[in-house]
Amino acid sequence: MAASSSDSSLLGIAIMIDELKAPDTTLRVAAIKRLSIIADALGVERTRLELLPFLTESIDDEDEVLLALVQELGKFVDYVGGPEHAHTLLPPLEVLATVEETVVRDAAVASLCDVASVLPLDDMVAKMFPLIKRLGTGDWFTSRTSACGLFAVAYPSLPGEHQAELRALFNQLCHDDTPMVRRAASANLGKFAKTQDKETAKAEMTPMFVSLAQDEQDSVRLLAVENCVALGSMFNVEENQTFILQTVRNCAQDKSWRVRYMVAEQFTALADALGPEITRSELIPAFVRLLRDTEAEVRTVAAFKVTPFSALIPLDQVLKKILPCIKDFVVDTSQHVRASLASGIMGMAPVFGRNHTIEHLLPIYLQLLKDEFSEVRLNIISKLNDVNNVIGIDLLSQSLLPAVMELAEDSQWRVRLAIIELIPLLAEQLGIAIFDEKLGNLCLTWLGDSVFSIREAATKNLRALINVFGVEWAAGNIIPKVLSMYTHPNYLYRMTTLMCIAELSGVVGEDLLLNQMLPLTLRLAVDPVPNIRFNVARAFETIIKSLPAEVVQGEVKPCLVKLTEDTDKDVKFFAQAALARC
Amino acid sequence: MSELDRQIERLLNCEHLRESEVKTLCAKAREILVEEANVQNVDAPVTVCGDVHGQFYDVKELFKVGGLCPETNYLFMGDFVDRGFYSVETFLLLLALKVRYPDRMTLLRGNHESRQITQVYGFYDECLRKFGSVSAWRYCTEIFDYLPLSALIEGQIFAVHGGLSPSLNTLDQIRLLDRKQEVPHDGAMCDLMWSDPEEQVDGWGLSPRGAGYIFGADVVSQFNHTNDLSLICRAHQLVMEGYKAMFSQSLITVWSAPNYCYRCGNVAAILEFDENLNKNFLIFSAAPADQRGSPAKKATPDYFL
Repeated sequence: MAASSSDSSLLGIAIMIDELKAPDTTLRVAAIKRLSIIADALGVERTRLELLPFLTESIDDEDEVLLALVQELGKFVDYVGGPEHAHTLLPPLEVLATVEETVVRDAAVASLCDVASVLPLDDMVAKMFPLIKRLGTGDWFTSRTSACGLFAVAYPSLPGEHQAELRALFNQLCHDDTPMVRRAASANLGKFAKTQDKETAKAEMTPMFVSLAQDEQDSVRLLAVENCVALGSMFNVEENQTFILQTVRNCAQDKSWRVRYMVAEQFTALADALGPEITRSELIPAFVRLLRDTEAEVRTVAAFKVTPFSALIPLDQVLKKILPCIKDFVVDTSQHVRASLASGIMGMAPVFGRNHTIEHLLPIYLQLLKDEFSEVRLNIISKLNDVNNVIGIDLLSQSLLPAVMELAEDSQWRVRLAIIELIPLLAEQLGIAIFDEKLGNLCLTWLGDSVFSIREAATKNLRALINVFGVEWAAGNIIPKVLSMYTHPNYLYRMTTLMCIAELSGVVGEDLLLNQMLPLTLRLAVDPVPNIRFNVARAFETIIKSLPAEVVQGEVKPCLVKLTEDTDKDVKFFAQAALARC
Repeated sequence: MSELDRQIERLLNCEHLRESEVKTLCAKAREILVEEANVQNVDAPVTVCGDVHGQFYDVKELFKVGGLCPETNYLFMGDFVDRGFYSVETFLLLLALKVRYPDRMTLLRGNHESRQITQVYGFYDECLRKFGSVSAWRYCTEIFDYLPLSALIEGQIFAVHGGLSPSLNTLDQIRLLDRKQEVPHDGAMCDLMWSDPEEQVDGWGLSPRGAGYIFGADVVSQFNHTNDLSLICRAHQLVMEGYKAMFSQSLITVWSAPNYCYRCGNVAAILEFDENLNKNFLIFSAAPADQRGSPAKKATPDYFL
């Protein structure tokens, strides 16, 4: 909405300004979110001179309102007149960066960074620099915490002496008495170091990093792990060995599991940052230790990293060092560790190559497929294709097929569903002969499954199979058996016949459709259960697309007309709907 | 596609309706429900379900296992709302299906379909949060008063939310009750929604719930004999295995809220009766995390422009 002088628009603005003072919090939050409309109407000058002071006054409000305000102000540079006036936004944001509520403070820091990133150099020196100093030396930890997040954005454009002052202030914050401040310093250390030249970072930031990595609080120490990644990617191999490696070693063996968890989570990033040499010589033993950690949480996150980390190191090391740990994971007491392993382990096949996959991984897959926890089984099945490309179909059918067949009757229906979704793929690779022998019957069993979604998926599966094997195969094999289900004493299973007819009518060809499917559908139109009768009508909506016009007129239409006179309302409704399509 | 079909589609995506749509839907539902009896006759085949308690994504799981309405006929034995995060969407979905397919869907009243209880256990607050006013809650609770108290499947299976009452010996006595009121604190109508069967009891006993009674095998046997029934289906009590038969198969509890309150670790069940009244239990677990949406976000009311 552009600034316009029409009365109605001014009235709208007046209402909006009123809403800013509404007694109901949700109204004020919504009003704040539309501040840009008000600012647009007022123009840049009045926004600076009237709206901003008004907002600064209202800073004593509920946290929700403050949060909305902080977020809006971060996007407000254009409304106050562009970068040369952006500094007018700093005072209210500075106050908001010191409030008690963390969420508001963090958002204020983010908005301050947004505003600072467009400040002209003069304002950076005259306004932003003192602001950081004020916050960084404030009495309350809240303001000092917020200060930590502002160094990186201001530092690069400041003159040398100011830069030195900022580094000294940051050092002070790294040794602050309050752990919250040290945590914030550690969280921002990597980002800050990256804005400096390498020599300065090495000389001044590494001591701070080392001291934070040895902090008495584990919540501070765990943040050092990310700094290892940040600093490590700046340094060369020798420098990493001198400055970073010891910290990585310490963190990987930290007495607090949360720190070790962090190392495990960041492990591939660490390996990338420290380079292949250090990874090979130093990180493999550390990783093995994490894989054998006493805490299940650490093992779980380490298990996720097994595949990506193995891709970074030589295969002989994987086989010698990592593989034994994987074998232990298969029988790990924690189901989450096993599920985590199962989610990634299929990706190991390309790393291992054909022979090693067959020798080492296949037994592991088979064992995981029998795991008592269904998520483990599901994770393996859904990625079976990855292995297929490596070891080929022969071996897959020999070794995995028995397990797949067992899972096809799994008590968890989602496992069965995953298997069904795999079937067209298997069919393509197994060929008609093996498929009929091993899996043909299963496909029929699923059509009679007690779970509706499985019957539905099995129907769609049939169509996919016909696409693979052709109509003739279906005519001889599956379709007669499917159609024979129409005599089932339970209506839900007779319905499956109808679902199949509707699903397949487009692909089976006229012969089957006219001679087998149509007569059956007409017969089900007099079923005693109304649900079957109206599903006949619904099936006809699909089937008629594949029927010759004279059959529709001569056979389908009379049947539907009869159904419109049914005693059941729903049968009548669906028959009329289908009739409209004839 | 009709407006109602579109609303059902939206509800299946866990979007609640607008307040005005709730009003219209409830008005249509009232026209249908006012015609239904205290003991509503239901034809087989039908799938019988117990408490669902606002666990919307688990109700979707239920439909995945049992089939959607109208393909499958359903009888829900009450307690659609409270405790779960999505009472609004759950109840409106079931109600919309009831209005769209009155002969395929039967909804009974549970003890939570009450003004008093919903103010304590979540439905009231949820309505206030999702609609910004209590009108939707008023429309829904008015509809609660019209829900049938019980159902009779093919003249021989009696379905009710809680259980029996010492003041009711025959189905005809239930048929005579005036049900269009808030669930009372005591008396026949209250007992139907609050009572529990108990193995250890002979005759009637005091209920630890503070409403309704506990009743023993002899009571069920007498009631079934008097009314020529073969089975009582009821819900109301959490069963870890999803269902439980008692009193030599003359009474079955069906529970359809898996991992009740998102923490009990139980499985849920629905009971399929085919056209010959053969029983088949389907067991299901809570919907996996990737099938659940994020908790509903607050809607911002459109109050100006």
